[in-house]
Amino acid sequence: MIVLDTLLLVPRNIGLAILMLYRRWISPLYGDVCRYYPSCSAYTLGSIQQRGLLLGSLRGGIRILRCNPWAAGGIDDVPPKKHFRYTTTTRGFVVASTQRKG
Amino acid sequence: MDFLGTILWPLKWVVELLLVSWHWLLTFFGMDSAAGITWVLSIVGLVLVVRTALIPLFVKQIKNQRRMMEVAPQLKKIQDKYKGKRDQLSREAMSRETMALYKNTGTNPLGSCLPLLVQMPIFFSLFSVLNGAQNSKAGVGPLNATLAKEFGEARLFGGAPLHSSFQSAMNDPAGPQVLVMIIAAIMVVVMTASQFITQLQIVSKNMSDETKASPMFKQQRILLYILPFVFLFSGFAFPLGVMFYWLTTNIWTMVQQFIIIRNMPMPGSEAAREREARLARKGKLEPKSDSATIVVEERKPVQRQQPMGKNRAKKAGGTPQQPGGTAQQPKKNDDGSGASNNTPRK
Repeated sequence: MIVLDTLLLVPRNIGLAILMLYRRWISPLYGDVCRYYPSCSAYTLGSIQQRGLLLGSLRGGIRILRCNPWAAGGIDDVPPKKHFRYTTTTRGFVVASTQRKG
Repeated sequence: MDFLGTILWPLKWVVELLLVSWHWLLTFFGMDSAAGITWVLSIVGLVLVVRTALIPLFVKQIKNQRRMMEVAPQLKKIQDKYKGKRDQLSREAMSRETMALYKNTGTNPLGSCLPLLVQMPIFFSLFSVLNGAQNSKAGVGPLNATLAKEFGEARLFGGAPLHSSFQSAMNDPAGPQVLVMIIAAIMVVVMTASQFITQLQIVSKNMSDETKASPMFKQQRILLYILPFVFLFSGFAFPLGVMFYWLTTNIWTMVQQFIIIRNMPMPGSEAAREREARLARKGKLEPKSDSATIVVEERKPVQRQQPMGKNRAKKAGGTPQQPGGTAQQPKKNDDGSGASNNTPRK
């Protein structure tokens, strides 16, 4: 099961790695831009952790559309997934949980 | 047509239309249709139109930033609350509170992410139109094969075609083209310098001291000095025409940034202090927004009421207490150690 889970988690971890590189090296060039907290890239990162590459990116894209000059901005956290069955490492990657309930 | 090409098609079309229109206008006023300078000015014109179209966004941002002066005292309160705390949790809490303040007061000074993402395809389509035209390839719309060829072959100073880059000039089969190399080298340096100055303005002047204390800031500083080298190296591969586009954009951004930083600096930044000093020297602190800030700041150091011992308080009895915040003070001081120190002994 863990092997299967790890395989399933490959796309989202690749996506996370790309986003982390962007946040580390490219994003600082723009300075503070986002009208929301957490910022669009942090929000997308969280969404991909929670829901995978496709759904997470989709949510991130919608958030960027919301982050336009006419938006009021403010606090807009990533809605947590109800049954999140993986573990997030301190670096932000998602791995299969070793101890599973039932 | 590939996926990216399909998405960029309409943008490319518009870019070509602008380029050809400017070229037509310039030849109408008697400039040589095939001359390098005519095509360079067309590129400059294209940049002017694109950036002018983006001015409304810029104005909106300025308006927001002006409104921000009104919330400066509240912002300062938050910044003071987290002063000197550099761990990640407090930094996150601080940006969270700052964002909530912006939303509640309707004064969000930040530019938002969408325009950044929209500008990228515009840049890419500009680049591909210019790049294609340099190679005398017909565009997708108004830039037909004849015009594209003319564009690509147009020469600056009689010998430097717009389609050649430093690299292509250096590896020319007919021997290195020195003129092209000199022009390209000068442009790369000027371009990199303008980019660097723009970034430096933001990083060194328009950031509040609290942002400067964050770990992100160090990162930004390092990037600031690494990036010019990246540009320096990649710049040698760009055709002259593309570099003219880039240079014009950079100059526009630089001036725009300068105006913002001078007139609407981020509260708590060095630029903000400079502006206050400048206004004070002229003897005209801005009547509305600035005086509001000062009033709030002056209210804080209310003269501390002398604490009274219990006995003296009884004696004083009916002394009229000052209204407002001071009402709480006797209570606080009653059992504090500071109070007993200050109480005149009898």
